[in-house]
Amino acid sequence: MAELEQLATSSGGTPPLDETIAEPDYSAAPSRRLEIAIAVTALMLSLLALWLSRNIILRMGGGGVDPKWWPTLLSVLAAGLAAILVGMSFLAPPMSRGEVEATEKDGWIRMLVALTLSAIYVFAWSTIGYVIPTLVFTAALLFLFGLRSWKGLVIFSLATTAFIYGLFHYLLKVPL
Amino acid sequence: MSALLDGVLAVFEPSVMLCLSIGVVVGMLVGMFPGITATMAVALASGFTMTLEPVQGLAVLLTIYVAANFGDRIPSILINTPGTPASIATTFDGYPMAKNGQAGLALIVSALVSAVGIVASMVLFAGAAVPLAQLALRFGPSEMFAVVVLAMTIMISISSKSITKGLLAGIIGLFIATIGRDPITGDARFTFGIRELNGGLDFIAVIIGLFGIAELLDQLLTHRNHEVKPISALGRWWPTKAEYKRIAKPTAISGLVGLVVGIIPGAGGDIAGLLGWDRAKAASSTKATFGKGNIEGVAAADTASSATLGGSLTTTMALGIPGDSVMAVMIGSMIVWGIQPGPSLFVNEPALVATITAIMVLATFITLAINLVRMPMMVKLLDMPKPYIWATVLVFCIVGTYATTNNLFTVWVMLFFGVVGLILKRCGIPAGPIVLGLILGPLAESNLRRSLLIDGPTGLIDKPISATLIGLAIIAVIAALGSPLLARRKAKRAKANPS
Repeated sequence: MAELEQLATSSGGTPPLDETIAEPDYSAAPSRRLEIAIAVTALMLSLLALWLSRNIILRMGGGGVDPKWWPTLLSVLAAGLAAILVGMSFLAPPMSRGEVEATEKDGWIRMLVALTLSAIYVFAWSTIGYVIPTLVFTAALLFLFGLRSWKGLVIFSLATTAFIYGLFHYLLKVPL
Repeated sequence: MSALLDGVLAVFEPSVMLCLSIGVVVGMLVGMFPGITATMAVALASGFTMTLEPVQGLAVLLTIYVAANFGDRIPSILINTPGTPASIATTFDGYPMAKNGQAGLALIVSALVSAVGIVASMVLFAGAAVPLAQLALRFGPSEMFAVVVLAMTIMISISSKSITKGLLAGIIGLFIATIGRDPITGDARFTFGIRELNGGLDFIAVIIGLFGIAELLDQLLTHRNHEVKPISALGRWWPTKAEYKRIAKPTAISGLVGLVVGIIPGAGGDIAGLLGWDRAKAASSTKATFGKGNIEGVAAADTASSATLGGSLTTTMALGIPGDSVMAVMIGSMIVWGIQPGPSLFVNEPALVATITAIMVLATFITLAINLVRMPMMVKLLDMPKPYIWATVLVFCIVGTYATTNNLFTVWVMLFFGVVGLILKRCGIPAGPIVLGLILGPLAESNLRRSLLIDGPTGLIDKPISATLIGLAIIAVIAALGSPLLARRKAKRAKANPS
C-alpha cells in the first residue's frame, strides 16, 4: 500500500523503476513555516466558529439537542484537530507537498488579474447586462493568458458570447 | 417489467439521444485535457442541465462521466500526463509503450478494456442497487448516521495524505452545511442577516468553486511554458490474437479489484487503477516488464479504474452516499431535479435503475466506437492552446453558476469558494471530504439529533448495525493512521537490512 501511495503521489509519471524518463521536478517544497501558519489559522477559525455557534439566537430557548448543539460539536472537534495540527507542525518533519506544483512569479500576476477581471465582470453584468461585459471579459482573459492574435481574440470572444447566449437564452430558457 | 422497459425506452427519445451525444463530446474533451477533471466538468455541466428534464440531465452528466473515463487515457499514453486522476496508473505502461512505437496499440487496448470494465460494473449496479436499497430501507436514524460516519471516514482516510487534515476538511464541509435554517426548528444559523443565505449555500456554486475555479486558479499560478509534444508515431492499432489472450487475465483480475473499490464510498478510479495494476503485476508471468511498456499493465490499470463506475453509482443511488467526487456533484443536480438519491428512490421510481443502466451502457458503446474509429483525429486535439481552454472554463463557470439560481449572489459565492479551494489545495487540505460533508451534513445532523432524542445517548452503540458501522469507521481511521507508521518502519528495516 505504501508503494501505491508513493506511485499515486508521483506527478503522473511512470514508476521509479523506469530510468528512461528524467523530467524536472516542479513539486512545491515542504515548509514548516507554512504548516505552522495553516495550523494556527485553522485553530483560530475553529475558535471563531465555536464563538459564533454559541451565539446563535434561538427563538424558543435552548438546551439539550438544540440548533446550537451540532455546530458547537463540530467547532470543538475542529479545534481539537487544529490543536493536533499545531503540535505536529512544530514537532513532526514538514509534510511533503508533492501533490502541488511550485508557484511561478508570472503565475501570481496571471491569477490575481484573472480574479480581478472576474469580479469586475460580475459587477458589470449586474449593471449593464450580459453581452458587452462577456465580450470584453473573454477577450481580456485571452489576452491575459497570452493570446496575441487579433483574429483569435475577436472571433473567439464573439463566438463564445453568442454560443452561451444562444444556449441559455433560447435553448435552456434562462434569461441572461 | 413494463416499468423497466419504459426506463430503457426513455433513453431512446430524440432529445435524450441529443443530450447523450453532447455528453460524449464534452466528456471526451474534458478527459483529454489534463487539468480538467470529470468532477469539474460534471459540476460545470450541472449549471447547464438545471432546466432540463431529469432523464435528459442524467444523460448529459452520466455520459460525461463515462466519456471522460475514455478520454483521459489519451494524454496518459501520449504525453505521460493523466487526463484525470483516474488514469494515473495508465501512464506506468501506456507511455513506455508509446515510446516503444506502440501508442496506437495502447490506445485501442485501453479503449477496449475500459468498455469491458464499465459494462461489468453496470451489471453489478443493475443487480445490486435494488437489494442494497431494500436493506437500507430498514435503517433508522442511528443506522443512517452510522452510514454517513463510515462513508466520511473511509473517504477521508483514502483521499488525504494527512488524516488530520482530511478529518478537518470533512468537518469544514459539515460546518458549511449548517449555514441557513436549522432543519428541525427553522432557526437561522450563520446567515448574518443575508437573505440569500437563509436556504443555505448553493451547493452547485460551492462545488464549481472548489473543483472548477480552484483548479483553474492553481493552473494559472503554476503554469510553465514547457510544451510536451505528444508522441506522433502511433504504430499499429489492433492487437494480435496472442495479445488479446495476454490481456484477458489482467483484465479479469483488475476488473474484480475495480468492482470492489467502486462500492467503497469515496474510493474512485485513481485508487482502483493503482491497486488493479499492482494486483495484475503480482499475478503476471511477465512482472519484470511492468512499468516498462507491458500491454498487460495498460489493460489492468484501465479495466480497474473503469470498473469503479457502476459501484460508485450503486452506493450513490441506493444509499444516497456518493461513491466518488463526481457522484457527489451528481447528487446535487439530482436534488434540484426533485430526485433524492437514497433507499426510497428505487421504490418510488423503479424505472430509474433501467434508465441509468441504459444511459451508461449506451454511452460506453458510443464512446468506444468513436475511440476506435476517430482516435487519430482526437490525438490532434491535444495541441489546443491553453488560453482558449482557460478562458472558456472561467466564462462557463461564471455563466453556468449564474444559471443555477438566476442570481449573481451565487456567482460571488462560487468565486469566494474558488479562492478558498485554492488556499486549501495549496495547504494540502483535500476538497473531496468538504463536498462530502456538505452533502451529508443535513443527513448526519438530522439523523443524529433524532437518534439522540428517540434512543438516548447509547442509541448508536446499542443497535447491532449502527454499532458495526461505527466500529468499521473507527477501524478505517486507525488503519489510515497506522499505515504511514508501518510503511516508515518497513522502510527503516529495509534500509538497515538491504539484503
